[in-house]
Amino acid sequence: MRIAVIQFPGTNCEHETLVAVRDAGMDGEIFRWNRPEQELSEFDGYIVPGGFSYQDRLRAGVIASKEPVMATLKEEAAEGKPVIGICNGFQILVESGMLPGSGEIDLALAQNVMVKGGRIVRRGYYCGWTTLRHESLPRRSCGSFLLDGGALLQMPIAHAEGNLVTAKEGLIQELADEDQVIFRYCNSSGTAVDEFPVNVNGSTENIAGICNPEGNVLGMMPHPERAIFSWQLPPPGRRPPGPGPGRMVFESMRRFIEVSR
Amino acid sequence: MRINLRIWLKIPDAEAATVKNTLVRRMGFEGVIDDVRRERLYSIEADVGNPWRLVKHIVRELVNENKEECLVSIDELDLDDGYVPVKVGLHIEDGEAISAKNRLVRRLGLSAVKRVERSNIWKLYIRSDEREAVAEEIARKLLINPNKDSYEILRARARAVGMRQ
Repeated sequence: MRIAVIQFPGTNCEHETLVAVRDAGMDGEIFRWNRPEQELSEFDGYIVPGGFSYQDRLRAGVIASKEPVMATLKEEAAEGKPVIGICNGFQILVESGMLPGSGEIDLALAQNVMVKGGRIVRRGYYCGWTTLRHESLPRRSCGSFLLDGGALLQMPIAHAEGNLVTAKEGLIQELADEDQVIFRYCNSSGTAVDEFPVNVNGSTENIAGICNPEGNVLGMMPHPERAIFSWQLPPPGRRPPGPGPGRMVFESMRRFIEVSR
Repeated sequence: MRINLRIWLKIPDAEAATVKNTLVRRMGFEGVIDDVRRERLYSIEADVGNPWRLVKHIVRELVNENKEECLVSIDELDLDDGYVPVKVGLHIEDGEAISAKNRLVRRLGLSAVKRVERSNIWKLYIRSDEREAVAEEIARKLLINPNKDSYEILRARARAVGMRQ
């Protein structure tokens, strides 16, 4: 089972993503954006990792979305192969029209706006730990295949543009109705409070991750690859060795591929 | 009155170069696009009789003379010929424009400043009989995400008049 971790100029999470892939029992390699894109077909699944592809020039993810490798990725996704976009990877999938899946650009991941008590308290880049609530049923998406509905997971975020917005009327409700909202930011008891610091970036209805209608393409702003070992979670040094919550995303991908074969 | 402050890099603009490369190498505009340049535009509404004293303070705050040059015009936005100017701005709340206004009003005490809008002007040097149609296509396919940005094709005028820094 081979996973391609796609690297663009400016990607900076490819190595830890590869560690996570291998730790979840899959084989993988870093696939540079300028390799012959036909070689992408040899893989069973794909991860577009985090970073700052093309230095976020113009807007996050848009330049990478025009690369030939993305056209091939769309074709592979149309075959049902799993694709997970993490942080900048999510932004690239949105700009390429792969999420939420109409082929059009139906969403934007705009600049973070942190609101508390009706006031904007902060804007722009933010990094910190968040709690995610799994919103959907098990098996709904390739990256949440093994998660129970309502499961809570701690994962870090690190981005300036994760504020999910849309100009398409009714789209957010449609995503919720179709169980395409996979993760929401919530507090430690699982309540999606729509203000900072629970909603870390001002995202519409606390949305942290969505999938396409078929469930084989998932995008999420938090970084599961930075939470695959328990010792990575805060506070430092106080947890016994073992798997972290982020590993479930990669193990879900492996299981998704196993049952899709 | 409206103070139009146009700012551009005097060092190479990597973002404009990336946009040009993407258009030419990835989006089929080879032979159509000769060049792409970019300016940042602050449109500042001010309640003041003689604007030029205010302009000096604004320029000192918003322009980094080590790497940027600027041009100021009052009310009219005068643009050169030779390119199609595409103005791209946010249609959602613009935090940087709000921050710029706060800097001018609260920190510098420029109470004459009433409103600040920020946008980019993409200067598209297009070789085509349908220059505006090509610019529209480029704006829709690359320059904007319609869920947060809007665009306007501006008409280029004769050479700008005003204060060049």
